[in-house]
This record gives sequence, structure tokens and C-alpha cells, in this order.
Amino acid sequence: MPDVQSHPLPSAAPTPRRRRRRGWHGLLYTLPALALVVVFFLIPLGMTVWMSLHNWPLLGNARWIGLANYTRLWNDASFWNALLFTAQYTIVSTIGLLGLALALALMVQHQGRATGLYRTVWFLPVVTGFASASLLWAWLSNVDAGLFSPLAQRIGLTEGRFNLLADFDTAFWSVTVMVVWKMAGFYMIILMSGLQAIPGDYQEAARIDGASALQRFLWITVPLIRQPFALALIMCVAGSMLAFDQFYIILNGGPRNQTVTAVYKIFNESFVSFRLGYGAALSVILLLILMVLSIIQLRLLRDRGES
Amino acid sequence: MKMIRGAIALTALLALTLPAAGTRAETFSLWVRSGANDYIRELIASFEADSEHRVDLQVVPVDEMVQKYAIASVGGSAPDALSLDLIYTPAFARAGQLRDLTDFAHSLAWFDQLSPAHLSVGTFDGRLYGLPFSADASLLIWNKELFKRAGLDPENAPQSWTEIIADARAVGALGPETYGFYFAGNCGGCNIFTLAPMIWAAGGEILSADGQQAMLDSPQVREAIDFYRTMVMDGLVPAGARTDSGANFFGAFANGNIGIAPLGSFAISILNQQYPDLDYGVAFLPGQEAGQWSSFAGGDNIVISRSTSEEKLPAIKAFIRHTYSLAGQKILARRIGIPVRADLAQQALEGLDPRYALSTEAMQNGRTPYSTVFNDLINSRNGPWTTTLNRAFFADSEAEVEAALAAGQAEMQAIIDAAR
Amino acid sequence: MQTSTRQGGVTAPTARGGRIRGHRVLFHITAVLVTLIFLAPIFWVVMASFRPAAVSLQPPLPPWPSDGVGVTFDNYSRLGDYGASVLHYTANSAFVAVGTALLTIVVSLLAGYGFSRYRFPFRSVVFVLILATIMIPFQSILTPLFLLLAKMGLQNTLTGLVFIYATLQLPFSVFMMKNAFDSVPKEIEEAARIDGMKGVRMLARVMMPLVTPGIVTVGLFAFLNAWNEFLAALVLLTDQSKFTLPVLMTAVRYGRYGSVDWGAVQAGVTIMMIPCLILFLILQRSYIRGLTAGAVK
Repeated sequence: MPDVQSHPLPSAAPTPRRRRRRGWHGLLYTLPALALVVVFFLIPLGMTVWMSLHNWPLLGNARWIGLANYTRLWNDASFWNALLFTAQYTIVSTIGLLGLALALALMVQHQGRATGLYRTVWFLPVVTGFASASLLWAWLSNVDAGLFSPLAQRIGLTEGRFNLLADFDTAFWSVTVMVVWKMAGFYMIILMSGLQAIPGDYQEAARIDGASALQRFLWITVPLIRQPFALALIMCVAGSMLAFDQFYIILNGGPRNQTVTAVYKIFNESFVSFRLGYGAALSVILLLILMVLSIIQLRLLRDRGES
Repeated sequence: MKMIRGAIALTALLALTLPAAGTRAETFSLWVRSGANDYIRELIASFEADSEHRVDLQVVPVDEMVQKYAIASVGGSAPDALSLDLIYTPAFARAGQLRDLTDFAHSLAWFDQLSPAHLSVGTFDGRLYGLPFSADASLLIWNKELFKRAGLDPENAPQSWTEIIADARAVGALGPETYGFYFAGNCGGCNIFTLAPMIWAAGGEILSADGQQAMLDSPQVREAIDFYRTMVMDGLVPAGARTDSGANFFGAFANGNIGIAPLGSFAISILNQQYPDLDYGVAFLPGQEAGQWSSFAGGDNIVISRSTSEEKLPAIKAFIRHTYSLAGQKILARRIGIPVRADLAQQALEGLDPRYALSTEAMQNGRTPYSTVFNDLINSRNGPWTTTLNRAFFADSEAEVEAALAAGQAEMQAIIDAAR
Repeated sequence: MQTSTRQGGVTAPTARGGRIRGHRVLFHITAVLVTLIFLAPIFWVVMASFRPAAVSLQPPLPPWPSDGVGVTFDNYSRLGDYGASVLHYTANSAFVAVGTALLTIVVSLLAGYGFSRYRFPFRSVVFVLILATIMIPFQSILTPLFLLLAKMGLQNTLTGLVFIYATLQLPFSVFMMKNAFDSVPKEIEEAARIDGMKGVRMLARVMMPLVTPGIVTVGLFAFLNAWNEFLAALVLLTDQSKFTLPVLMTAVRYGRYGSVDWGAVQAGVTIMMIPCLILFLILQRSYIRGLTAGAVK
């Protein structure tokens, strides 16, 4: 992406000052964006914190209860289970996604008519949306009318129909496979753009020096794609931590509530049991966890880059 | 902000201009849950045929009715009237979302003929907030064709849990694609409707009469679980049952390869209309011993939102009166098999499938649990009743069943206590 | 993706030619297999959606209509049984998606221009503020959003959804548009100014045509995300007549009589997927540009 690459970074733009006009004029242009962000983001964000300090039923009056929601949350095993499950899902899906995405990116990093086609097809599931992909998977994983179980039975893998969604392990893997299928193309493109930014002569020079393919991958490719990899990692972790659609649509949080994610738990508290205040407190905790995670990832990847 | 204000102004403008059809004729919105609701369309058609009022029908996904109604109430977009699962009347009455219908109800000449189950859950703090709209009783249904092929008497329903297991075994032995029994194993609503009556018939309870005590920890509940679990372990129940959150509650039996399924009166009319080739019988849901039986007295109450404007009340009341007329009750009888007005029942059921009479009897002797947190306890997909049963039905060991029941009992009681 | 660092087979010494060719065959076999696996679910659901209703409870082996039954549109017409016709819900989805795309384009175009060409008090504060919202998941502020919309009379309206979706698009879109304006040489503007252009007219007449690729990218992302969004629509829409396709489809899945209707689900999934796939295939370059813009930075 040379045309994009050459752009200066937004805030560090060394534009000559005299060409820019001063005064409040510019603010006028950014006002609509600012207004949207304030009304639909900052105010709700503040309200979340405010609500988390209340007993706030959907119907009826809110009552100030200080930190009681947070002390209750501390002892709420179902919330910590949900967080634990979300973490487990995040780790597994991130490894699966980025691993496959890197392999795919290595396959299609070079130009060519065929590789262009592969790239396009592998990317297709990305644009379908989580709700449609989840509905599609709910059908494919269904024991009676779906594809996986009957197919396994027909080719003799299982004796009789095996209900994939009945046990935690198989249900979890079924959903993870769906997510990998749906999102691998996305991270493939991000990693590929990093691979393509590596100057070709680096590899050539190393080859002439007698470096094997593995050595070249480890010592040239890996260090140079750290930045896009960091981006992919952060997006992947954040996305997985917020998973909801697939577990709601395919599994209803089952079997036996074992796949209720953090967002699902918040949804249940807020919009099924109507404990808005408690839901808000859970949101605040989730938000803090996500911010800490992002900061840690940025730190880790940046520090290593500098040393 | 201009845009937002503009949008508000626009919506306000639309709201002002749309219902300008006339002053006397009103259009009111009516929500119903998704599922067997053809009778409502027919009822509305017959109402509109001789009334200047109009009904704007909105179908809400059955699992999301409670959420949607509560959210809409807060958001100011509540429907004018609802055909609400009768079980939720106390919860919404308690939250102050419903209009007091006591005076209107007593003005009806046939008030004392209305379904008592509906009226009992329609009452909160001595006032009446919901009136019977449609009824649904739970029944046992069996496939006569499969009974015949299995060498059983197709005219003889199983009379007890042991007989159900024995008959299911005989049908299950017919082949790998044929199953003795079906139940939706991950559906709280389905199981309170079908399993709970069998527990009641055996003398057990799920909740105390006032809804303040969870009562899962009883021998009857244990034995009922054991009854289902035995059939699961024997392979008499299709694998899909374990993850069925109600989507296939009825569909599995209609497919024709299930011997016995506890369903409801709703199934009779759908089977008659859509699966005319399926030969089936209906019976009461039995208890442990022959001769015991019970039923869940379910269905919908019609309720009016508190926010509904006065101008619309005459239209809604006219619609309710129309429902209680002979014409209305005949539609109910034909479509779902149970009229809700006792004095017209015989007339309305005349000439219809004799199996309907059984539904009406089940309804009259059925029970309806009373709780203001029914959704959180029973119907919620992630609630304790649903998860406890799923865990227990498909448990690998007795110990697992015990653990599930103990956890479920504690969780249910905690929810009840927290709501007090 | 114009990088053309040609490696591998082309520059390889002739002695290694045979091995390289072997590698290439192996590569293509693997790639084709992966391609088939990635395509299979989409192919399966589209095919199965044309099967007659009677077999929709049978496993899709094979997925296409068989046993002498031709292609039927039963599944699609049955979607219409759910209240209004399926066109109505498609129109709801389209309204939300197009509305979001338009609002996002207008707002981010203005903001991008402002940030790129003007210097004003609190400029960097405002910029960072807008970008920082990407760090906060909107799922965590859904409840107050709902209460806020209810206060504004926008709960249970498609317009309300448009505002929320557009706000979610802003960090990415403003960033994209600012970059697009940054890459337009200042000389063009100077020349136009001498001709007497300024302000919004300058933006509309002179600058907009120069940043069209950016506009397409921003609009495409906004459209797809709005078309596919589920959680906010599930919570905020209460009237069946307002449902967008994803919300409708989860409801349709539960069928009408406690019997699951997989045929209708297949038809619905197809309707939801096809516009996205077509848009992507047409505007692939714009889409990839949007993705990689962030990655290379």
C-alpha cells in the first residue's frame, strides 16, 4: 500500500503553519462528529458509571446504593465464570485465527492471478456478518437437519447421530471453527499488508547468504511484521472479549450456561432480568479489563520494538 | 444536534398526522407472541367485519416478549394491548405497567363464567389486570400408527410413568429412526408446561402456592427426573432433544417418528390442519400411579398498557367483548380447541373434534403457578429451571442429578428472595 | 496491493526448476482445497435455500433440490408469513445501512477536511477524543444508550439505530478521511482559492472529487457494519414491523408452531449475505484499502 504509506501521521503532520487557517472556523467542520461522539458515546459512558452506583430497575425508580453492585459482583460466581469462559475463548480463537491467518497470508503475499482469486475467496466470509454466519452455523451444526452430524454418520465417523451442541467441548469447538472460518481472511489481509511492506531485497540478500526458508521467516519476516501483527492481535483480543452474537444465536449460552460470555451476561442482567444498575457495574469492569489488556499489549509490543 | 432535533420533530409530525382517520374509529396496536396465533388473525378479521375500529397486529418472538414489552414500556413505544402469556400478568401488574380492568371485568354479564385460572394470575393485590383471551392445556399425545406397529393397543394411552416408559421402549424398538419419546430438553417454558403437571399429579410441587418458596428438593421431582433420564439413557429420545430450546418442541412429534410426547391442546388443531395423515390420540398427563393426572392451565391474558390513551379504550373493550361473543368463542374453539367462557363452551365446541372436550376438562382442572419473577425462574433460557433440568435429564450419574437439583433449588430461592 | 516483489520461481536458478514446479503444484492443490472449504458453507446454504419446504428437516446431502423436485422459492415466500413481507424487512435493513453510510460520509468528510486543513483551538483534543472511542466497546454502554434514545423519542426507530451506528463508525472514518485530505496537494486548493472558491463550496466542488476513494471506503464499511449489526438492533427495536433482517431471522428460526423452520432460515441467511458479497466483490479495492490503511501505519 505505498500510496497510503507515504501519508504523514495525523497529529505529527509537519505542515507549514502559514497555509493553515486559524480561528474557530475549523471547529465548525468537526462539530457534527464531535456532537455525535458526545451524545452517543461520552454521555452514555458517564451514565454507565453513574448507573452502576444505583439499584436501577428497568421499570420503577432508581435508588442510590453506592458500591453495593460492585461488592455483589465480587461474589457473583456466574459473572466470573462468564469472564473465565470469555478469556478461554479469546485465547483459543486468537491462536487459531492468527495462526491460520499468518499461514494464509504467507500463501497469498505475492502477486498473481490465482493468488488474487484465493485472497478474494478466503476473504468472502468476513463480509457476511456475525448474525448471518451464526445462523448458518446453527443450521449446519444441528443434529437432525444440519450438515456436520449427518455427514459424519454417513461417512462412518460416528455411529448414529452425534449432537455437537450438547457437550461443552464439541459446542465450543464448533463455534470456534465458525469464527476462524469467518474471520481468518480479515487478519490475513492485515498480516499480508505487513508482509508486502518488507522490501524484497532483504529476502534475496539473505538467500544469497545461504539462509534457509525457515531462518529467513524467523529472522526477517517475523521481526518486520511485528507492527501489523500487534494490530491484528489487539483487534482479535478485543473482538473475542466482546463476543456475543455467535453464543447467543448458536448456543443460547448453553450447554448449561457454560458458554455465557461477559457481554452475554451483561445483556442478561440488563435486558432479561432488568437489573440495569448491576449490568452497568459489570460493564464498567469489562471496560476496565479491556483497557488494561490493550495497554499491556501495546506496551509489550512497543518495548520489544525499541530494544 | 440539529439533526437529532429534526428527527424528533419529524417523528412527532408523523405521529400527529398518521391516525387522522377519524374521531370515533380507533386503531389500537395489539402484540401477540409468535407461535400458534392464526386464531388471532381470524378473530381480528371477524371483529373488523362489523366494527369501525381497526387492530394493528404485531407478532413478537415468543422468547423475547417480556424483554420487548418492558423495553417498549420504558421507551414510550408500548403497544396499546397485549395478548400476554398469562404467567407474566403478575410481574407486569406489579411493575405498574398495566391498566386496572377490575371495573370493566365486573361490568361483563358473564364475568363469573370466565376461566378461573386466567383470573387468578390476572389478579394482583386484589385488583384485576388481565382477562382470559386464549387457553392452552397440557396433554399427552401419542402416535397411534407407531403404537400399532409396535404391537401396542393404539386406543389405549399410557396411564402412568412406568407405562410411558414401557410403551416408549416398544416404539423405540421399531428402528433406528424411530423414537419412543420426545421432550425439549433445554426449554424451561416447555417443561413447566408438560413436566410440572406430571410432578403435580404425583403430589409434588415446583413452587409454593404464593410463589415464595422453591420446592425442587422433593422425592416427586427426583423421580420425575429419573423417569425422563431413564428414557434418555435407553436411547428412546432423539439426540436433538438435549439442545432443543423449544424450537422443535412440537415439530419433532409432527415429523411422525416419535411415539409419545407431552404437548398441549394447541397441538390438536395444528395436527388436524397441517398433518392430516398423522393418526394420534390425546390423554391427560399422568402421575406416577394410574388414575392420577394434572394439567398446566396456560394461555394468554389480554392486558392493556397503562400508557394507552383513553380514546382507544372503547375500541379495545369492544374487541374484548367480541372475543367473548359466541362468534369469537367459536373461532377459539375451532382454532385452538378451548373456549374461555364456560357458559358458551358446549355450544362453541359443537360438531368439532371430540378430543377438544378433553382439553377443556384439562383446562378447568389445571393449575397455574403464581410468581412475579416467573421469567427469571422458569422461562429464561439461562434461568435455573432450564439449566437444572438440562443438567439433570442428561446427567451421567445420580450424584450429578443431586448436585443439579441442589444448585437449582438454591438459585431459584435466591432469585425469589432478591425480588422481595 | 500493488507491491510486486517477485520472488520464488521466476528468479530461481534453472537447476532448481523441477523442485520449484513441484512446490507450485503442491501450493495450488493446498490453496484450492482451502478455497473449497471456505466456500462450502456459503454454497451449501444458498443451494439448500431452494429446496422445497418438505425436505428442509432432512440433512442437506446433497444440498441442492433433488429427487425430481426443481428449484422452489417456497422458503423465501414463507419468510413473508412472519408479519410483513420479507421485502419490508429488507427495506428496514437497507434504510439503516444506507442511512448510516450517508451520515457517516457527510460527518467524516466534514471532520476530515476540518482536521486536515484547519488549525483551531482544541484541535488535537477533539481528534484524540473521536479516535479514542474505538477503545471503548459500545456493548458496555448499551443500556444508557437505550435510555437516552428513549428520552429523545428515538427508541424503536430505525433513525435511532442510524445515529448509533454512524457514531460507531466515526473513529475509523474520520481517520480515513483526514488521511485522504492530507494526501491532496495544497497547490490545488491554492489555485481554486485564487478563483474565488472557499469554505463548503471549495470542499464540495474541488476537494470532494479528489477524495472519492476515501468516501467509497468509509461508506462501504459503514454500510456493511450497519447491515450486519445484531445486538443493538435486538435490544433497541421492539416492534416487529421495525425489525432488521438479523433480528427477524433469529425470530423466524423459532418457527410458528414450536417447530423449527430451517428452510426459512436458509433463505434468510442467503438474503442477508448476498448483498454483502456482491458489494465486496465490486468494491474490493476500496475495502482492502480501508483495512490496510491502519495496518501499515
